[in-house]
Amino acid sequence: MSNNANSYGAGIMAKTGKEFADEYFAEENQVVHESHEVVLVLKKSDEINIIVEEILLGDRKDENPTLVVEDRAGYWWLKATGKIEIDCEDAAEVLGKDYNVYDLLVDVSSTIGRAFTLGETFTITSELMGLDRKLEDLEA
Amino acid sequence: MAISAATKAATDALAVNRAPTSVNAQEVHRWLQSFTWDFDKNRTKYPTKYKMANDTKEQFKLIAKEYARMESVKDERQFGSLQDVLTRVDAANKVHPKWNETMKVISNFLEVGEYNAIAATGMLWDSASAPEQKNGYLAQTLDEIRHTNQCGYVNYYFTKHGQDAAGHNDARRTRTIGPLWKGMKRVFSDGFISGDAVECSINLQLVGEACFTNPLIVAVTEWAAANGDEITPTVFLSIETDELRHMANGYQTIVSIANDEAASKYLNTDLNNAFWTQQKYFTPVLGMMFEYGSHFKVEPWVKTWNRWVYEDWGGIWIGRLGKYGVESPRSLRDAKVDAYWAHHDLFLLAYALWPTGFFRLTLPTAEEADWFEENYPGWHEHYGKIYEEWRARGCEDPNSGFIPLMWFIENNHPIYIDRVSQVPFCPSLCKGASTLRVHEYNGKKNTFSDDWGERMWLAEPERYECQNMFEQYAGRELSEVIAELQGVRSDGKTLIAQPHTNKDGKMWTLDDIKALDCVFSDPVDAL
Repeated sequence: MSNNANSYGAGIMAKTGKEFADEYFAEENQVVHESHEVVLVLKKSDEINIIVEEILLGDRKDENPTLVVEDRAGYWWLKATGKIEIDCEDAAEVLGKDYNVYDLLVDVSSTIGRAFTLGETFTITSELMGLDRKLEDLEA
Repeated sequence: MAISAATKAATDALAVNRAPTSVNAQEVHRWLQSFTWDFDKNRTKYPTKYKMANDTKEQFKLIAKEYARMESVKDERQFGSLQDVLTRVDAANKVHPKWNETMKVISNFLEVGEYNAIAATGMLWDSASAPEQKNGYLAQTLDEIRHTNQCGYVNYYFTKHGQDAAGHNDARRTRTIGPLWKGMKRVFSDGFISGDAVECSINLQLVGEACFTNPLIVAVTEWAAANGDEITPTVFLSIETDELRHMANGYQTIVSIANDEAASKYLNTDLNNAFWTQQKYFTPVLGMMFEYGSHFKVEPWVKTWNRWVYEDWGGIWIGRLGKYGVESPRSLRDAKVDAYWAHHDLFLLAYALWPTGFFRLTLPTAEEADWFEENYPGWHEHYGKIYEEWRARGCEDPNSGFIPLMWFIENNHPIYIDRVSQVPFCPSLCKGASTLRVHEYNGKKNTFSDDWGERMWLAEPERYECQNMFEQYAGRELSEVIAELQGVRSDGKTLIAQPHTNKDGKMWTLDDIKALDCVFSDPVDAL
């Protein structure tokens, strides 16, 4: 469990009973607040467990210090500020077999944020793709 | 021999746009875009007041071959797990009995949602004019067919391998008796496929899928695992691997209308109506299923709701769209009250009406009552005492001659059905955001529980004419209705529904219910 503000039990979630209710019903929490976080749910599998442990929490951990990964029984719950990227060419190398972005999508269970693929990279971002920035096609 | 104009056009296009020589899927996707099919003037059977842009993208660059390969791998893993290891370790019999009952409802009702989503996304395919957007909707139509089969399979698997098959195996003929069915049809059917095409997309994709599938299909797997159920996570997390594309489809629907003038006029009202429609049912029903339909608790439902609905969907989807004029739903304040209390209100009514179910319900144990009070201060004083009284009167035992519905009548707590959502409510007992209001229309009295549904009804009263259960069964005796709608087990007399899951407890029969002489009446007659 991490103390990061993005962790599953951070903020109001750490409170219980009346303390939770007071914050939950507080006037300032009766409208939505813009958030620049993204959430990714990855179904556990041989490949995903290695990608999480060896890449996201391994080689690439320093690239995204806001990233939190939590074990929620059947799935990994990930939250980060800005974006999470998974390079499937890296994954193929670590897994030691052919593995493309569509193989990754077999186990991507949920996304909160704008998720897209480009080449062999899967990205989930807080950017409003198609509004703030165009979605790109693979270059010829 | 002369070639046709179509063949010549195709030959010319191929000469300019050379087919990829490799099999890289994203190259193939880019190549397909170069054909620039023009659907701009496409006529649709399903119009919308919004103008959907012709250049909207699909975020995952799907092509048929990769789509089919992905889905077949998902199915192989799912059925492989279910048929091999989970059957070998007798997984279905290790599920806690309370949770076994919960899955009778969740999987069966989700199947209905998936089935209606087939039609909804077919409609959206017809309405959209951007080729990539059509591609995304088409893949979703195929997904929804897969999900319908998967949900049906969960109930089939529990029937074949698990405990207490009744309810898993014949829900399709018994599920319509009780008060949960018609509300589910409102969100999962009417909300997805009736009315303006873009409004349907907002209901299905932007709210139903981007918001409520996270608790319904993701968070549910934690509750399942905690209660010994390894079947549901295997199937539901596989279903959810398609939902991310559906959420993206919903977002791209908004992108496609963002620059249309109609968006500034209608979008916030449509979004608020969709949010209220979906939350009005899902918030109490999911909360009730998780907290009252489990033995081992993961976390309070209000926290699950706060995380997935308020912070993540609200902040990351809706909050980020603020600069494009999308507002926080005006009904959010009432929805938050519901997320705290409405599932407790609903369980009170569901337990009172237990003979009309297709599953067994259980009153909270003393240990569970402590958990409720710790997480919802005031729970015991309001709800816990009532359950203690019902238990003392022997509500679980058929020899008691007591079902809790009688307590509501004795204590003058009438139960009404909200005309728009079809969700039952008891104004004199509820702590959720419900109060009674009544409108007469075409000689018929209609009851409502909240401002938001009332407003929707006032705008389109003819849309909400579905008979509620009290109107449908008025004047009929309860056991007769249960027998007619097949609410009995294979012996022809024992009810599928029971007020306990105790294997040593006595089961209620049609004769026990008949002895109560309980006749349906419509409470609006007294208003």
